[in-house]
This record gives sequence, structure tokens and C-alpha cells, in this order.
Amino acid sequence: MIEIKGLYKRFGDLEVLKGISVDIKENEVVCVIGPSGSGKSTFLRCINLLEMPSSGDIIIDGQKITDKDININRIREEAGMVFQHFNLFPHKTTMENVALAPIKVRKLPKEEAEKRALDLLNKVGLADKANVYPSALSGGQKQRVAIARALAMRPKVMLFDEPTSALDPEMVGEVLGVMKDLAQAGMTMIVVTHEMGFAREVADRVLFMDEGTIMEQGTPSDIFSNAQHERTKSFLSKVL
Amino acid sequence: MSLLSTYLEHIVKVLPDLVTGSLITIEITSFALFFGMILGTLAGLGKLSKKKLFRYPTIVYVDFIRGTPLLVQILLFYYGIPGLYSNATGNSLNFDPILAGVIVCSINSGAYIAEIVRAGIQSIDKGQMEAARSLGMNEKMAMKEIILPQAFRRIIPPLGNEFIALLKDSSLLAVIGVHELLKTGQLYISRTFAAFPVYIAVALMYLLLTIVISRLVTYSERRLGVSDRN
Repeated sequence: MIEIKGLYKRFGDLEVLKGISVDIKENEVVCVIGPSGSGKSTFLRCINLLEMPSSGDIIIDGQKITDKDININRIREEAGMVFQHFNLFPHKTTMENVALAPIKVRKLPKEEAEKRALDLLNKVGLADKANVYPSALSGGQKQRVAIARALAMRPKVMLFDEPTSALDPEMVGEVLGVMKDLAQAGMTMIVVTHEMGFAREVADRVLFMDEGTIMEQGTPSDIFSNAQHERTKSFLSKVL
Repeated sequence: MSLLSTYLEHIVKVLPDLVTGSLITIEITSFALFFGMILGTLAGLGKLSKKKLFRYPTIVYVDFIRGTPLLVQILLFYYGIPGLYSNATGNSLNFDPILAGVIVCSINSGAYIAEIVRAGIQSIDKGQMEAARSLGMNEKMAMKEIILPQAFRRIIPPLGNEFIALLKDSSLLAVIGVHELLKTGQLYISRTFAAFPVYIAVALMYLLLTIVISRLVTYSERRLGVSDRN
């Protein structure tokens, strides 16, 4: 469903991604792990073109999104993104946060968008918070709203950029729970994470990234119990 | 009659004139702030634009206006432009002083507001634009729906300062014969020579107006700021 071929990304002299090639199948849950600075987030941000790849191709559903004349906004509609720092819109209520893009971008009638929003807020357990502003929510609640907001666009793939890294420990579980439900419902997901427990339990495949390349990949048990590379072993020994 | 009662008598006599003048001052300032906001928002966006075609003219505009005195801008517009027009075409051109005042003050405050708007937009976390873009909004839509509403709440205090500065600076329009607050006082003085009490009264009127504005700003800041704590 997503094909990535020879992806490079440079920021000035700094080469962050050095030739990433990977295929991701429909309904697959891929967790990306690795030390900080390894290019995990940049890799994820390239998939919905928040960062423009320096070279290489990304093909989603047969469409080469790295073509010059592609409509970037169309691509982003199909790839939902969840950020480390939530990035909810503070001047909009929870409901408005979720319903805004379907109304403005998908041109959905307001009632229908709000019905969809309420349905999604229900799924993430926050229907009772529909009319409050983000400032009144806890970190875990904010991130669940952010997931609902991304889902409201009915994306083909969901990208998670360290979704639990900015949360207090006791709130990590509620967010991972929502993500688990999503994975079980068959959503294609790419998750950059430091939650090894989540990767082990939910991922179909784990990518270990280091220094801008995919050093090693495989099933969770391949990576966590039977890593081949020294780098992978030394990283895992530090985090597990 | 004592000096004090003479002064008080002058103040009572001049007060109706000063109220009329204040209304002109408020009118000019309000219109100038309104058009200045529009101009300033456009110029602020222009300054942040990636396109040189938008960026360079706004840089010239802001630098010229901020780098020259308002008094010179007023004289240049009111006397200079009609002069140029008659030299070039042989016909005469006269501006209505109030209209000229509104135009010059709008252009002037637009340049200052441009900087306020630019700073306001840049103060919004980059993640807001990224979140909006990741939902498929184009840049214009994200600006309108997400960035500008947040930026405007944040720039209410500096806009209030600009409003106050503009109100005081509008007194310079006295030199082109606009019958605003200062000018009405001066006209009374030219008839009676009562400089001290009238200028004191004029000063107190400006003070009253600026205090009212700063209260209004504080109030609207509090009203709009409620939902904005992150």
C-alpha cells in the first residue's frame, strides 16, 4: 500500500535519511524504534510531506506522491497524523477540533461532520468532553482527541509521531489503548515510539532505525528476542 | 475675580468645543485603526510571504512609514500630493482635511500593525500549522481558521498600545486644519489667549480618552483570553 524507495532527506549539510526503502501493506501495523536523532520522525513526516524528501520515491496506493505536480493537500487528507505535542487547536472546542477539517476540507455538511465527530469522540471515550476547550483536558485526553481529529478525515493510513512521549506515565495506557483498538479494527499504522511493550504486543513488524537507515526489521519477536545487529542489541539493552 | 475662577470659566466655555473636537478625534482614530488593521494584516502576511513579489513591497512600506515622522507624512500627503498633481496636470486638487487625516493615519498605523501582526503570527507554535496542514487544509485555509484567530487574541495588548498612540498622534492633524480635539482648543485660545487652562483641559481630555481605551482593551483581552490557556 505504501512503497518507499531510496528515500533521502538532507537539512543543509546534515543528511538525516540515507536511502530508506520499505513497503508497508494494507492493515499492517509498523512500529519504528531507534535512538533519538536516528531519523525516525523525519521518516514519518516525509510520508505526509510535512518534510519534502530530498530524493527518492514514496508511492501510496499506486500514486507517486513525490511527483512535482501532485496536490499535497490531497495526500495529507489520506494520511492522518498524530503529534507528540498533540497540537490541538486551543481556540476551538473538542468537537470543533474534530469536525473542522471534514467540514472545511471534505465539504461535509456541519450536522454530518458533528455526528461523525461525536461518534469518534465516543470511541475514544470523550463524548462527554465535546463542548470543552483543550485547556480543560489532561494530556491523555488531548492526545485521544487528536487521534479522533485525525480519524475524522477517514485516512487510509495513520502516522503516529511519538504519541505518548509527552504524557505523564499514568496517561500513557489510555492512549495506547485507543491505538490498540484502532490496530485491531484494521487501520494501517506507522508508529514511531519508545513504548517497546506496545511495539511487541501490537506491531506486525518492527523497524529499527539508526543513523538515517533501517538497520534491521522483522516481527517483534525477531527484533526483541533475536536481534542480529550489534546496534540493535545495544539499543534494546538500554531501553528494555 | 481670582485667577482660578477665570480659568474655570474658560474651561467651562471651551468644554463643548472640546467635546465636539473629541468626537472628530475618536472618529478619525477609529477609522484609521480599522483600515490600519486591514492594511497591517495584509502587510504582516506579506512580510512573512515566501514570494519576493509580496515581501519586498511590504518591507519598503513598513520601513518608509516607520522611518519618517508622521508630521512629515501628513504634510507630504496634504500639501505635497496636490502640489505634484497641479504641477503635472495644471489642474488643482484639494483634499478634505478629515479624509486626508484618515488616509494618512491608516497608512501610518498599518505599518506599525504589520509588525504587530507578523510577531503575533510568528508567536503561534509551528505545530499548529503542521496539524492543520496534516488534516489536508491548504495554507490559506490554515492561516484563516487556525493561525490568525489565535494570533489576533495574542496581539490585543500591542494593538491597544497602537490605538492609544494613534489617538494621541492624531493631534498632529491640527496642522492641516482638521478640527479635532487639539485644534478646537487652539481656536479658542486664538480668540481668548487663555493658553494655560485650555491646554490643560485638552490634555485631560486626551488622558480621559486613553484611559477609556486601555480599560476596553483589558476587558476584551480578558473576555477573549478565557479559552486560550493551553
